[in-house]
Amino acid sequence: MNKKIVGTVIGLGVILAIAAGQSVIEKKQANQVPTVGVMQFMAHPALNQIYQGIRIGLEDNGYRIGRDVKIDFQNAQGDQSNLKTMASRFESEHTAVAVGIATPAAVAIANTIHDRPVVFSASTNPVSAKLVKNYARPGKNVTGVSDQAPLEQQLKMMRTLLPQMQTIGVIYTSSDDSATTEATKFQHLAQQAGLTVKMYSIASSNDLNQTSLQMVAGHNVDAVFVPTDNTIAGAMSTLIKNTDAAKVPVFPTVDTMVKQGGVASESINQKAIGIATGKMVAKILDGAEPATTPVDFMKTGDLIINRAQAEKLGITIPDTLDQRAHYIESIGK
Amino acid sequence: MEIIVSAIGQGLIWATLGVGLFLSFRILNFPDMTVEGTFPLGAAVSVTLITMGMNPLLAALIAAFAGGIAGLVTGLLYTKGKIPILLAGILTMTAIYSINLRIMGQANKSLLGMTTLFNAKWLDFLPTNFPTVLVGLILITLITGGMALFLQTELGQAFIATGDNPAMARSMGINSDAMTTMGLIISNALIAFGGALVAQNNGFADVNMGIGIIVVALASIIIGEVAFSEQMTLGERLMTIVIGSILYRFVLVAVLYAGFNANDLNLFSAVILGLALLLPQLKQKIQLSKVLKNGVAQHGK
Repeated sequence: MNKKIVGTVIGLGVILAIAAGQSVIEKKQANQVPTVGVMQFMAHPALNQIYQGIRIGLEDNGYRIGRDVKIDFQNAQGDQSNLKTMASRFESEHTAVAVGIATPAAVAIANTIHDRPVVFSASTNPVSAKLVKNYARPGKNVTGVSDQAPLEQQLKMMRTLLPQMQTIGVIYTSSDDSATTEATKFQHLAQQAGLTVKMYSIASSNDLNQTSLQMVAGHNVDAVFVPTDNTIAGAMSTLIKNTDAAKVPVFPTVDTMVKQGGVASESINQKAIGIATGKMVAKILDGAEPATTPVDFMKTGDLIINRAQAEKLGITIPDTLDQRAHYIESIGK
Repeated sequence: MEIIVSAIGQGLIWATLGVGLFLSFRILNFPDMTVEGTFPLGAAVSVTLITMGMNPLLAALIAAFAGGIAGLVTGLLYTKGKIPILLAGILTMTAIYSINLRIMGQANKSLLGMTTLFNAKWLDFLPTNFPTVLVGLILITLITGGMALFLQTELGQAFIATGDNPAMARSMGINSDAMTTMGLIISNALIAFGGALVAQNNGFADVNMGIGIIVVALASIIIGEVAFSEQMTLGERLMTIVIGSILYRFVLVAVLYAGFNANDLNLFSAVILGLALLLPQLKQKIQLSKVLKNGVAQHGK
């Protein structure tokens, strides 16, 4: 047998033996400053804001970052194979709390860390992702903040702005579970309200141009609804280019997507999700048990209106909405 | 230390992919893109079956069977349909994407709270991350051992001959089409098995988990080749793939620990792989320049 191979195998074996020995001795050096591991599934505006919110939430609840708590931030860039490695990193660091932003990150952490608290942020359907058993009493070491959007409120707002609306196009990414769940939920709500709903799904951002063109061609739909969809959020300008050309208003669920050219949204403020998560992390650092900490939901949305976009599409904003709206004045960025 | 153990465990699991791709990439000498579909296929099949209550090992074996069928499709497209191999693979891979969505009924299926090969009761005595190492070691030993034995049989030798020189193999009465198809079936069955293992280890299957997987599989083959550049027996070659897979995980961990932005991770993977591929050429170049220098010096005398 080749000597180099034998050498390498022996080397790896020695490393394993040492590691096994170390973990048997189990010298738990208690960290002076607790570490909070934060893993973000990918970089895009909404998820970035959640991370910002988590920092604010921690600071507001008495944990100054760098002094009372350390943050180890990891961004998986949407790559599934990185998730496990990063989760193991949290495991080996003995993070006091590990936070997963977006469901895949949270699932990867929950699957790796069983004996310390795990907090998910912005998981739309934590029960179907098996993160928690039920919302009121999560039961294990995992709890968190869900980002289920207030869809009834959203539909009501759309009907107030567009009284003539008959047909709604819903566009979403079929490989994005939370987007699919939200799209289907909205479909049922709109159908119950007597509207016609046309569903359009894309497989990746490459399909968005073609599919959205088809959706608005010949004014097929009166308005477009976009759920919380990471892929579409990343390619929003493609969608808006086509809907603007056909003069069809777009109603997303996320505030950042209104900035990117949507007309209005009863949106969950992403930063608020982050702040709620930060607050929950602080509570757990103070000693709360995840098993008995109920999953947090954002009860109301903020009404966000893009004034320039509304004017461009000839939509007048009634007084009832005007009073509580936050306006975004510019189109784009 | 735990992160190193984790990397070794991950390397052992991912090595299944390297061994699978070795059959098509090195022995048959063509790049089989089907793997980017069969990897998530294996994950989807095994995760779905486990959530339905099936034994995790049986689920992984059925996943391997499904991967074999995908390999058969690519093989038939290539040998009978005369479709170029790259295209045949891409066609199958594209089709599998939709099939995976059908199988799972959703894009991402979680295994949280379910028993998998890596959290079974009998592994409870082991410290963190060691179950992955132990199960990975057992499985990869069985796989490489079985592969080495198979390649020494008459059928295995005919298979290798087909890869070396299809024309000569045919003249010796070997059915090269059948050999190629068989290679693709075994290769994709192994890749799907690897997908099942990775999904069980990660705790979920996702339709997009196949993207870029061919680079990961290639990396273990090529890093192994570069690290152990000497002449080797087939069994040793298979072992270097496993070691290469572990070394690749070490590099990724090092990159993450060095504080590099995860945005750059794919770039790093590609650069590492590129360097490994270029190394033999560079070595030659450097020796060549030495020879030139000597030559010029002598001429000057």
